[in-house]
Amino acid sequence: MKQRLIIIASVILLLTVIGYMVYDLFFTENDRNNNPYDYGLSELRKSDSTLIAYSEVQQFSTGLSDIYGITTDPMDRIYVAGANGLEIYSAEGNLVSKFPVQDTAYCITIAPDGMIVLGMEDHIEIMNPEGMIISRWKPESENSVLTGVAADETNVYVADAGEKIVYRYDLDGNLLNRIGEKDSLAGIPRFVIPSPYFDLGLGRDNELWVVNSGRHLFEAFRPDGSLISTWGKTSMGVEGFCGCCNPSNFAILSDGSFVTSEKGIERVKIYLPSGEFKSLVAAPDQFEEGTRGLDLAVDSKDRILLLDPWRNQVRIFVYIGDEDNE
Amino acid sequence: MKRGIALVVLTILFAWQMASSYAIQRFPKPEFESGYITPETLVPNPRAEILEVMDVVVLLLALSVVTWAVLKRRSRNLVFWISVFSLAYFGFYREGCVCSIGAIQNVTLAMFSGSYIIPWTVLVFFMAPLVFTLAFGRTFCAGVCPFGAFQDLISWRPRKIGPQLNAVLGVIPYIYLALAVLYAATKTDFIICRYDPFVGIFRFDATFGMFLFAGILLLSGVFIARPYCRFLCPYGVLLNWISRFSRYHMTITPSVCIQCRLCEDSCPYEVIEKPVTVKNPETRQSIVRKFILIILMIPFFMLLGGWTGSQIHESLAMVNGKVRMANELLHPQKYQGEPESIEMAAFRTSGKPATEIYSEASRIIRQFYIGGWILGGFIGLTIGGLFAGRLTTKYRTDFEPNRGSCFSCNRCVDYCPIKS
Repeated sequence: MKQRLIIIASVILLLTVIGYMVYDLFFTENDRNNNPYDYGLSELRKSDSTLIAYSEVQQFSTGLSDIYGITTDPMDRIYVAGANGLEIYSAEGNLVSKFPVQDTAYCITIAPDGMIVLGMEDHIEIMNPEGMIISRWKPESENSVLTGVAADETNVYVADAGEKIVYRYDLDGNLLNRIGEKDSLAGIPRFVIPSPYFDLGLGRDNELWVVNSGRHLFEAFRPDGSLISTWGKTSMGVEGFCGCCNPSNFAILSDGSFVTSEKGIERVKIYLPSGEFKSLVAAPDQFEEGTRGLDLAVDSKDRILLLDPWRNQVRIFVYIGDEDNE
Repeated sequence: MKRGIALVVLTILFAWQMASSYAIQRFPKPEFESGYITPETLVPNPRAEILEVMDVVVLLLALSVVTWAVLKRRSRNLVFWISVFSLAYFGFYREGCVCSIGAIQNVTLAMFSGSYIIPWTVLVFFMAPLVFTLAFGRTFCAGVCPFGAFQDLISWRPRKIGPQLNAVLGVIPYIYLALAVLYAATKTDFIICRYDPFVGIFRFDATFGMFLFAGILLLSGVFIARPYCRFLCPYGVLLNWISRFSRYHMTITPSVCIQCRLCEDSCPYEVIEKPVTVKNPETRQSIVRKFILIILMIPFFMLLGGWTGSQIHESLAMVNGKVRMANELLHPQKYQGEPESIEMAAFRTSGKPATEIYSEASRIIRQFYIGGWILGGFIGLTIGGLFAGRLTTKYRTDFEPNRGSCFSCNRCVDYCPIKS
């Protein structure tokens, strides 16, 4: 009896398979709602809410029409650069001062001496805290698209997405060397920058971190251009970077962890100094689809300041454990 | 033990395949907003010709070795391990493509389409097993076909389903073959590939539906040995025909059958034919009556099948994309309120007149009308042949494998006490 049942069940299974083939071939129409060529990211935009370790505590709008760069100074003042202007806010988000800027500033940093370094579309400007231009210079190339600046006591580093290179200048604008040129012997593969998102920043030991976004890698260099280390993982999952070129922007926390922002699947994440994924700051559903250029800065309290060009806002995130102290 | 080792090997291969799932597709197209010149798109090179030659060499070697193992060594163990190798190479490494089963469609398309040139490797994959079968029986099924090897591995508790059910289900591969040829000849679809349950597993990229499809088939394969080979495989139909004429088919006993009946139940595929001795010879009148019945019955079934095929030719043609689109253009009210299909949107934006697609569809439907007659006639012939087989009695003195259906797996050989 048991034998018979097994045979009957097996034959039914077999007939199910054949029935499915007949049904699929002759009795189903194309799924008209399903476009097989549709490039859908909706599934990838879903994220695990338990991975979110930060909470958004404040937003404020800026007075600029287009915003591109954000940074902070040692007093936690917030600097926002954009079209024809630069605005300075207090840590609480109150406007402190603003200066007009000729043309558009795409990136900004504050040098240790308090000078404001602006990366314009095709040149660098250094201003004093009152907005007076101290110096300005142009890279040699006509194809330059400046997308990131960083500065220490003696150097200004400029990321050029057009030339796919990082320039190291002294504070007077003299070119000292070029960083990231292909050098097989030194193990430098060159930067792959398919779009104008090419960020850089200085680490705790003043090492220069550059996003090789086409390779989904962070690369650390010494001032002389020698490669120290790299980290990064290509993945559609939350633990890695994906798309043509990500992350688009980053900032470094006081413990050396990295805060990264991505486009395509808009999200902000934290990576440990070793490059391992730690947590989410903001999930894709916290952004309007298509938002890009989410520049980042951190202040002395490790608050994460996010520039949201779509909303024209500065959005402030704090670690959920620190929320009560705010 | 042997099966356990094979399953471990299989698991490793699965794990290896999973690694490829980490190969990441990159999403959106890069945004080039600053006069950036798009680099030339690089496409993967086709498989190197030397590797294609290697595939053919491996196929011929595997066929030779398994034939030697079946006929000379008469070793089930050796056949088993060759089939594990074939599963690894042709299945997991070559990802099930090109395969001899699917090659039926390439050969058909090459015959009916002047613009399609069949690759020589595909032709070899199609022809070599047929040539070997003509000489030595279905040794290809025994140890070279990765689909067969896969099913052999999971056939843990094979049960017999009986000759009646075997015969009825055995008609399905003929229908499948006829449909596959019809759709390939009319450039409609390669349905053997579309419903290939194994390739998705070999590549580890099947959709959920296909995994379910394969899973159900494999589950039935635990109890019904080689269900795909026996009740679906269209290439098996060709091998079955050719194997009947094989010169050196495997035998259960190497010399004289001593009628010990040890092999009687050894075949999980139920293809061992028992001795039929003459007790009451049929009268001449009875033989003539049966002969006349067969002579009348087969053309009747062919005509009936052909007529039925011609009557359903429009339904058969609806699988064709162009016919479906013409139908959609002709009966827009049927699809009212539904979103426009992407095929229709593409056609509309092409600016071509509807008459163009109508005349193309009408040409295809005419092809299906003729194809419907041939398909139906072929199925009628198969069913007629099935009845004819039931009416005739074949006398034999020994236990013998059915030359057409036997996969030459050598299981029965192990049961035979005569070893030389």
